[in-house]
Amino acid sequence: MQQELPALTAAVLGLSLRSFTYLDGQAPVLHNVEIEVFPGSLTVISGQSGSGKSTLGAILAGLLPRHGMDELVGTISVAETQIEFSKSVTPRVDVSQWAKHTGLLPQDAGHYLSGIRGTVAEELAFSLENAGVPREQMCQRVQELAHKLHLEHLLERNPQQLSGGQERLVALAALAMSEPDVLVLDEPLAGLDQQASAVVSTMITTLRAQGTALVVLSDSIRAWAHEADSLWSLEQGMLKALSSDEQEQQNRTTRETPRSVPEDSRVLLSLNSVKLAYPGASHPAVQDLDLEVRAGQCIGLAGANGSGKTTLLKAIAGLLTPVAGRLESFGESGLLLQNSSDQLFERTVLREVTFGIPKRSPLQQRVPEVLAQLGLEAYAQTHPYELPASARRLVALATVLVRDPEILFLDEPTEALDEAGEAILQEVIRSVLERGGAVVLSTHDAEFMKSTAHRVLTLS
Amino acid sequence: MSPNLLLSEETSTQNLRRRLLAIAGTVILVATYLTLIITQPTGIAEGLGQGVALGTFAAYLVAAVLLLLAVLSDLQVSTLTLIPVALALNIILGQFVGSVMVPLYLDSIGTVIVGFLAGRRAGAATGVLSTLVWSLFAPTVLPFAAGAALVGFLAGTAARFGALRRVYLAPVAGLVAGVLVGVVSSPVATFVYGGTSGVGTGAVVAAFRSMGDSLLSAVTKQALISDPGDKAVVFLIAALLVYALPQRLSGSFAFVRRYRVLGKRVSK
Amino acid sequence: MPRTIHLHPFTILAVAVAVVSTTTAASQWWLSCAVLGLCLLISGWAGQLKKLSVLSGAMLLPTLLSLLLIHGLVSRDNSPAIAQWGPVRVTVHGLEVALSLGLRTAVLVVVGLLCGLLIDKHQLVAAIDLSPVPPQLGYLLAATHFLLPQMGEKQRRIGEAQTLRRVGTGKGVTGWFQRVRLRAVPLVLASMQDAQDRAVHLSARGFPAIGTRTRLRTVPDSSAQRAIRWIAIVVAVLGPVLILVLAQLGSKS
Repeated sequence: MQQELPALTAAVLGLSLRSFTYLDGQAPVLHNVEIEVFPGSLTVISGQSGSGKSTLGAILAGLLPRHGMDELVGTISVAETQIEFSKSVTPRVDVSQWAKHTGLLPQDAGHYLSGIRGTVAEELAFSLENAGVPREQMCQRVQELAHKLHLEHLLERNPQQLSGGQERLVALAALAMSEPDVLVLDEPLAGLDQQASAVVSTMITTLRAQGTALVVLSDSIRAWAHEADSLWSLEQGMLKALSSDEQEQQNRTTRETPRSVPEDSRVLLSLNSVKLAYPGASHPAVQDLDLEVRAGQCIGLAGANGSGKTTLLKAIAGLLTPVAGRLESFGESGLLLQNSSDQLFERTVLREVTFGIPKRSPLQQRVPEVLAQLGLEAYAQTHPYELPASARRLVALATVLVRDPEILFLDEPTEALDEAGEAILQEVIRSVLERGGAVVLSTHDAEFMKSTAHRVLTLS
Repeated sequence: MSPNLLLSEETSTQNLRRRLLAIAGTVILVATYLTLIITQPTGIAEGLGQGVALGTFAAYLVAAVLLLLAVLSDLQVSTLTLIPVALALNIILGQFVGSVMVPLYLDSIGTVIVGFLAGRRAGAATGVLSTLVWSLFAPTVLPFAAGAALVGFLAGTAARFGALRRVYLAPVAGLVAGVLVGVVSSPVATFVYGGTSGVGTGAVVAAFRSMGDSLLSAVTKQALISDPGDKAVVFLIAALLVYALPQRLSGSFAFVRRYRVLGKRVSK
Repeated sequence: MPRTIHLHPFTILAVAVAVVSTTTAASQWWLSCAVLGLCLLISGWAGQLKKLSVLSGAMLLPTLLSLLLIHGLVSRDNSPAIAQWGPVRVTVHGLEVALSLGLRTAVLVVVGLLCGLLIDKHQLVAAIDLSPVPPQLGYLLAATHFLLPQMGEKQRRIGEAQTLRRVGTGKGVTGWFQRVRLRAVPLVLASMQDAQDRAVHLSARGFPAIGTRTRLRTVPDSSAQRAIRWIAIVVAVLGPVLILVLAQLGSKS
């Protein structure tokens, strides 16, 4: 199973995969994937949510196939060792040894952190601790790495209280601690605002400058295309090289600006010097807010984390009563929360969307309509937790839309959505507006904001 | 040559040590229980009563810890990350389920879920650990660790023999488990604490006492009234929660696949 | 501002065990009360008096009531009754038994809770990691401790989301069952998925350690503390034996 490769091979990681099938999976998720990664190179693999990107990443990092469960046919060469997998033989991989050559930053970087350490410094040292590295040496290595990656200011922080961007920085640094030859990064910039995104990109560039080869798995190649040594796209489990034409196409963004609306349409929502505060909090979350939303309007809420966007949306949707001021809404409203896919509980998508609607209600007819509108018909009988993240988020949106709300509130709606999902969301917003409804949304995605909102309200 | 990337097949060198620990734990538990039942020490508050209390406390705790050590190093990492979730579920689910139905404790839903999915060893470990962690907030639960281990162990055993293949079998298994757990735990309540820690259960014990029962039999009868019902509800809720899991998740537990825990429900 | 004690967590635990076991064996009301008073003093010094009183009160009150019911109201010994009504028979002796059992539990609860408040959880985990027990134990203690508030928060968010969907408002047993399902299922699904996702990365980072393991965090220790720990353990085991033997001799002579 293991044999030395000729010294000529320069690639630090090579995958030659015939097929990969999950346990209980009917069809292979990936087939015929050939990849070679050279020292210090940048390989970019694009693909939509559910295309098999994360699976590919986990295979490269040795986390899949799980012994005795999944089935991989093919060969992986890592650290001058070639390991063969076949239908009958799945070698038991020593994941911790593999991680010293190829590390994986998962989509949710928080999953990489152990979650049981009191400070960032300890979190960085976690793998060293398990390897039994003497304390003096650990201190030194943590300090050196923090200096190299400009993380000194975070070392004494509590890892539980980091922002999304900082969490990714710490996870990247923890990965870099064991100085792997290759780092596989799954959606390293997704869900970050511009500033955080810039900081994370800087660290990635620093790591690459030090000779670490990078494999980036991303929904869109926009941020990476100009630097990449090789560009691939993953579609339905097949990998193909992207030609320069297709790159152009991917780069082109066909964003429209929102259509204008008559200023004298019906008022659907009005806020008059509203003040909001959580019980027991010393400072109000929102103060002296005035807002009027008319039929056909889409209002965007902007502002840094903690500026009260979510609080405001919750108040408008009726979860929180204002401490002062007047808040009036006219018409049925529906709110999509930020972590909305956490609320799903039924065994199929269809049952999830239908849940709570009386059998004879005319709303029953909306169910197939909404599923079709969101492109979810094919998933009607699937467990929501077996869907790709993007589709799962759309299921949560479907549970809101099925009640036909006149005012739609969306908290960070683009989070977890891939490009196709975002297009569907744009379409949904347009249809609500055309039917004479209104939309209020909060997002850190500046481009999305520009293309959907008529008016932006910045909270401070 | 780079370090070896592959693991050899599992070895069983340490199995003997683990088995000895498990046997020692079980022997201590059974011996303490039998001693208490046979000698039936009287005068729990004076003289040797203090010694009985300390002895029972220590023996039950030591037995639980030995059993824990026996299984701990065997557990897979996926089970290891599941256990803290189960402990948190014990507490959180117990709180909001229990707030509605007062007479039941419902504090072992997470333990039972682990038993169902990862087998009796993992279940037993979850029970003991749950008690150890919880004792940081409520020190009185410490000697009940052995009872909690039994709950997890029995949940795993029940799942192995098909209690989850039909919905109605789960509460039946819970009922049986409740009887055993009640019988094993009542000496702790009797000889360490001299009764129970709740007003409702205390009233039941007082009623039995007034009818002429000894303290141990009064506490045991009380346990036999509340425990089986409690465990039946807990097993049922845990089973329904396991059914709600996507197949990709439940199927990833080797125990579930090996003993066809979910039976035909998997092929759905 | 709560103060913390800069002692090795095991020292605090060992002393606590010794105190609880000897106090229980001695079973003197003045000793138990003195221990309780001392605990309250220490918690006052550490700025945790209120927390300790509330937590232990919530635990002890029902216990005490239950003991009064069991021993005080239906006493079956032969001492003269203060009051009698049917099967209910209150005796001085019964009340004494209930009180002494209550004190016994109180010592355990208050000392135990005080330990929980005084010990820094990170230090405790580090101390466990540095001791020769399996590495899994430290992980499990730490993970549970940090997971509890997170899952509590998640639980609250799910409740909010379900309120927004206007589901779970049914009445009666089916309504109750529906509400439990609405909140429990998403919580279990999300947290178990999360646990599974974390497991692979944990093993990629070399956990559980097979050989020796080290910790970046240091747990200050001293030879004096080590001595105290040994003495405390010896006292915890031999103290009760000695007290009980002396008590037996005393009652015979």
